[in-house]
Amino acid sequence: MTDISMHLNTEEIELWAQGLLPAARAMHLADCSLCRVEAERERKVILELVQLPKFAPNPGFADRVMAQVKIPTASGGWEQH
Amino acid sequence: MFSLLYRMVRDRALAEDLAQETFIKVLNGIKSYKPEFKFSSWIFKIANNAAIDHLRRKSIDTLSLDGAPNAETPDQMRATSLQLGDRAESPLDEVESRELGTAIERAIARLRPEYRSCILLRHVEGYSYEEIAETLDLPLGTVKTYIHRARNELRGYLDDRRE
Repeated sequence: MTDISMHLNTEEIELWAQGLLPAARAMHLADCSLCRVEAERERKVILELVQLPKFAPNPGFADRVMAQVKIPTASGGWEQH
Repeated sequence: MFSLLYRMVRDRALAEDLAQETFIKVLNGIKSYKPEFKFSSWIFKIANNAAIDHLRRKSIDTLSLDGAPNAETPDQMRATSLQLGDRAESPLDEVESRELGTAIERAIARLRPEYRSCILLRHVEGYSYEEIAETLDLPLGTVKTYIHRARNELRGYLDDRRE
């Protein structure tokens, strides 16, 4: 169990930025100006990072991949798709 | 996985080539997959290795906007810097510039590749620190350090932009 007097670590600051920090550690944050300054500095960049979009390859990508995959046949050979 | 590759190499066509290489390795090498390893982690490991290998081969291991890491003088930095917009823009360039042109994306591009992998796996893919350590074959403490340093650097780049 984490000592309530210990400063927040990297993971805990992430949890706080996402509103998921356990109450006991939130109490430390409320009392510790060092942690509050650090957490506030981290919050903006963490929120920008978690909102980054996911990208997808262009249409036809799966077909291009499957065209190059070799599937083993019952006779022990390879079938090219 | 495509998002990781795209942000690592910042080139859509190249990211697709690396993703294709990754899937072919995965599908053709499925017999070597160890079930005790998370399947998606195995795919990300292969993809990340492909991206890192590519960056090393091309000697652009930071894709730095400030020039090569070994550049020491302003002239060397200028000569080796990534020049955005110094070639005719194709439709694909426009897509890339729209997708990766935001301040946070440009800041991520300035990170060392190993920091970039960690921060993308953590915040875009939602991996735990333990999963990142397993995927990248790094000690857990190293992953925590990389993520902490990466966020500090990102903060610095974003603060510079605001000043």
